[in-house]
Amino acid sequence: MNDYKTKSKKYSGGIKALLSDWMILFLFIALFALCCLNSNFRTTTNIMNVLRQASFVAIIAMGEFFVILIGEMDMSISSIIGMVSIFFAGFVVKMGMPIWLAFLLVVAMSAAVGVVNGCLVVYGKMPSFIATLVIMNMLKGINYIYSDGLPISGLSDSFGKMALGKVGIIPVAVILMTAVAAVLYIFTAHTATGRSFFAVGGNKEASKLSGLNVTFVAILAFVMSGVLSAVGALGLTSKTQSGNVTLGDNLLFDVMTICVLGGTSLTGGRGRVVGIVIGALFLQVISNIMVLLGINTYWQWVVKGIILVVVVLIDSYSKKD
Amino acid sequence: MSGGNKDALPLIEIKNCTMEFPGVKALDNVNFTLMPGECHALVGENGAGKSTLSKCITGENRMTEGELYVKGEQIRIPTYSVRESQSKGIAIVHQEFTLMSDMNGVENIFVGRYEKKHGFIDWKALDRRAQELMDFLQCEVNLHVAVKNLRTAERQIIQLAKALLENPEIIIFDELTAVLQEKDIQNIFRIIGILKEKGIGIIYISHRLDEVFACCDSYTVLCDGKYINSGSVAEIDNGKLVKMIIGRELANVYPPVNEELGETILEVKNLTAPKAFRDVNLYVREGEVIGLAGLLGAGKTELVQAIFGNHKVVSGEILVKGKPVHTKKPYQAIRLGMGLVPDERRTLGLNMKFDIKDNTTLPSMKLFRKLGIFQNHEGEARAAYDINEKMNLNYYSLWQNVKKLSGGNQQKIVIAKWMLRDTEIFLLDEPTRGIDIGAKFEIYNLIHELTKQKKAVILVSPEMEELIGLCNRIYIMYEGAVMDEVEGERKTQEVIINSLLGVNTE
Repeated sequence: MNDYKTKSKKYSGGIKALLSDWMILFLFIALFALCCLNSNFRTTTNIMNVLRQASFVAIIAMGEFFVILIGEMDMSISSIIGMVSIFFAGFVVKMGMPIWLAFLLVVAMSAAVGVVNGCLVVYGKMPSFIATLVIMNMLKGINYIYSDGLPISGLSDSFGKMALGKVGIIPVAVILMTAVAAVLYIFTAHTATGRSFFAVGGNKEASKLSGLNVTFVAILAFVMSGVLSAVGALGLTSKTQSGNVTLGDNLLFDVMTICVLGGTSLTGGRGRVVGIVIGALFLQVISNIMVLLGINTYWQWVVKGIILVVVVLIDSYSKKD
Repeated sequence: MSGGNKDALPLIEIKNCTMEFPGVKALDNVNFTLMPGECHALVGENGAGKSTLSKCITGENRMTEGELYVKGEQIRIPTYSVRESQSKGIAIVHQEFTLMSDMNGVENIFVGRYEKKHGFIDWKALDRRAQELMDFLQCEVNLHVAVKNLRTAERQIIQLAKALLENPEIIIFDELTAVLQEKDIQNIFRIIGILKEKGIGIIYISHRLDEVFACCDSYTVLCDGKYINSGSVAEIDNGKLVKMIIGRELANVYPPVNEELGETILEVKNLTAPKAFRDVNLYVREGEVIGLAGLLGAGKTELVQAIFGNHKVVSGEILVKGKPVHTKKPYQAIRLGMGLVPDERRTLGLNMKFDIKDNTTLPSMKLFRKLGIFQNHEGEARAAYDINEKMNLNYYSLWQNVKKLSGGNQQKIVIAKWMLRDTEIFLLDEPTRGIDIGAKFEIYNLIHELTKQKKAVILVSPEMEELIGLCNRIYIMYEGAVMDEVEGERKTQEVIINSLLGVNTE
């Protein structure tokens, strides 16, 4: 049937559509090329370093991605990261648990926090911003009560391999991130449950009336945010080989920036997993080049802020037409 | 009868007005004249061009061709705007609420036009002015509570007062009475009398012809955007007016009603939801169309939503094929073979961020699987294509966003998505709302097709003729209760209207 072929052909939008669809990728390539002018940047060691550092934040951002996709927001991830770090170290160092058990426990705890977040939003009808902000502060309190605010060090070297190990020249972290991204890509693009996140974010009422279990999807989004934050947090913990309550304190902003850079619509319903990966690399390349150029941390915050504003402005302008 | 002074200058005069939107001629060579102190009925079916004409008068639309005179002065159309029409004394009162629901009456009347003293809002002066307006309208409305706590009729009085603030000479009543009950309608008539005495000209848009005879002096009929006739109400009767409005024989419009009915497929017993409906009993058989008639607020939408599991019910039973079922969530109702076409197409029926294919297959996604868990995108696209071709959808690509489709095409998708599943009970809540006449006929034929395939249909519609033309039986609801059930010879407009308004026919 010829008619079916024409009406089912994808990408009839031409170059303009291609450009706006992959804008962040082209920007990233341009940025990367520019950075390669710097001789310290273009070394293999440095580039692998950038990839490694981007990996764990990317995993955390992929969790937030699902929450943003349904049109909500999860502020609690910064405390979840702290919780995972300090409790994991506590379980292993203080209580002598095997690493796999401690791992399962902290992941389960994070999933539980996700369930609480989701229930407050779905059943309590609280705005997610408020619900997760409250949970963020409560968790922070609990983290400090457990640890008195002190780091717990003494995690084994073998655990440190999660962050620092390599297969050939490829860091383990990068392999882990790629695997997570691949699974999540298949989930969002090729399963009915994955597609539901887009539908719920696009129009919650219409999705409900079309028979989607909106409650389940919303809670699942917060659970995924919790679990992926936990995985990312363990990677970050492994880098320093110590548990630290402040580990996630500055990450929320980076995670939000990555989601927006990656083309996730803050009102929900639109976004791509691969966008998150590119967004994370983008942000990490900028941080890295600023360090190499000797720009101090405080200025880095300012620059990152400017990037977020510019991207949001471009996004809202391009949608106006 | 104060038919207006024939020697006076007309307040509004429209000559040969044509209004074209891309692809449609909404108005074709229409003439219209409004005299001071006259109440002029603008009648016609949905989509006949009544609102378009009133928008041309208020400046919301600019007519493509033709001349507009306000109080004898010709208007320059290319620069005409709502602001200019307001300054010329033209006001419009809508059926929908244009009020801020959390503000009180006084503030709603004056919002944006506060009187100030020393730079602060002078609430005392505003209270006084608002009371004067109420005295003029001879109405008692509490202006100091949030308007969301007021009755519909009271809120409309506030809208009217707001319109009167600018001392308009021309007021358009845009289907104001569609949502009102009888005694409130009488009150509106009384107010129209007061306004006419002041020499204000009124353009009265309504679907109810009895109102035209009760309060209007003259009429203008539009049909499919064309000017049909105008004249004095005193010289015409109901029958002639109906014929002009419909412009064709009723019989040609609707496909025949299917009379080959099967078993009862859905039955509702004593279903009650607080503040929405109570003790509702109804049933529908295979191949049958039943109608739900009633005014706004009669509980029709809540009832179909409750059957579909999207409205809380406190007591009563729903039976599908004789078995009691619990539909607490829509997905449960869908598994039982139900499909809902909701009244709000844009906010409830479609996901505006999605393309045609994703919208069409949303309820049936899980039917397209490969290897157990993965989506069969090719299968989905093929199915979406087949069903939309069958529905005669006008589109160029399955990946096209649904936002820019016309209302009729959007509605086809909302119906198509249920036809992809083997839906047996179709709940159609105002399926023809706001769509053009051609698409309406297609939907009528589609309903007929469904009944041929032994599907059951529950149809909610504000249009009496539609219900009479399509339904085997019609249930009439009034303030949440089923007042009457009509079929056969009793299926007439008169019987239904009386029950709608809560008037006992026995």
